[in-house]
Amino acid sequence: MEKITIIIDGKQVEAVKDQPVLMAARENGIDIPALCHHPELESSGGSCRVCLVEAVQGGRSRIVTSCNYPVRAGLEVNTSTDQVMKIRKGVLELLLCRVPDSEVVRGLASKYGIDEPRFFKDEGENNRYKCIACSLCTQVCEDVVGVSAISMQNRGVEKAPGTPFHKDSQACIGCGACAYACPTGAISMKDSKGVRTIWGRKFKMAACSVCGKPYIPQAQVDWIVKTTGKDRAFFDKCPDHR
Amino acid sequence: MGANVQKNKIDVKKIDRIIKGYDKSEESLLAILQDFQRAFQYVPEEGMKRLSRAMGVPESKIYAMGTFYKALSLKPRGKHTCKVCMGTACHLKGAGQILETIERELKVKRNSTTEDGLFTVESVNCVGACAMAPVVVVDESYAGHVRQSKVMDILDKYK
Repeated sequence: MEKITIIIDGKQVEAVKDQPVLMAARENGIDIPALCHHPELESSGGSCRVCLVEAVQGGRSRIVTSCNYPVRAGLEVNTSTDQVMKIRKGVLELLLCRVPDSEVVRGLASKYGIDEPRFFKDEGENNRYKCIACSLCTQVCEDVVGVSAISMQNRGVEKAPGTPFHKDSQACIGCGACAYACPTGAISMKDSKGVRTIWGRKFKMAACSVCGKPYIPQAQVDWIVKTTGKDRAFFDKCPDHR
Repeated sequence: MGANVQKNKIDVKKIDRIIKGYDKSEESLLAILQDFQRAFQYVPEEGMKRLSRAMGVPESKIYAMGTFYKALSLKPRGKHTCKVCMGTACHLKGAGQILETIERELKVKRNSTTEDGLFTVESVNCVGACAMAPVVVVDESYAGHVRQSKVMDILDKYK
């Protein structure tokens, strides 16, 4: 881990070489808004365009996505110049057109002074509800969970995550990592009476032997035991009573 | 009903034969899907499921691939594909009316298949033959300078 010094918003800060600019800024208390980036997922980011900043290197200035732009020696980053704010505002306005139902996007846009987009609002046949098609959910499902139960389907304006053939996915373990990772709350997951419903499939939940609260889908326990060889008895109790 | 069962049986054998002809590798996936498309005029769900099992690739990935490429269709297609070019040049030369004529005469909406399963009618964006505008492509054969009054003569040859 090679430490180098870069300049963010005129302030000299220390950062790790090749670390994303976004992470370096956040570690130094400079906030850059972002939707599609997840710190635990190296492959994530670069699709929502909310985290755009100005990067100056070798006298040349470029607008880049800070979530996947690597920190290098001599880099100077500006996160809130007039130009950056104008572009970010434009990005948020377009996102709001796409997902007018999303509270997260609406809240972020309103911080930048946009309450109603000037353009059309997507309420027609390609309405993606709250989904901005960033593919964070499918990346989590593949890289972290390792089951690839969902994938990004179709393309262009119709691109959206889903299960194969729009039917119950046999690969899904009901863990809910996709719903947890989704930056805009677009994936519905409901737990009720010991049954979890996600992606249209129902999962029986295993209950804690101490408090009796259903806390993990049985299918997820089976998957963890199968892939890690962990003792099944470990899951008898919920994390609060272990 | 009996005919349907018979058809499914043939499908499965054909599917497995196609898969067997390729190496077990992710690189073979698209070629196999294309073979399905050629053999069945569409990519059957059973084909994608068997392919997933044979290659050890998640169903979701194969489904993503199948929905991404326009050359692959997940719904059964007609025996012949009739593409009406809607590129700029063809559009100006009246491709819209030509498509409407076909829709009316074949009683079919664009991007769907006739009831008898003979034609799938599609509107496409530029087939790269603008000098011949307006262009109608039936299967692999290009017809140029198509006139509204003559377009059905072209299609009648395939009936």
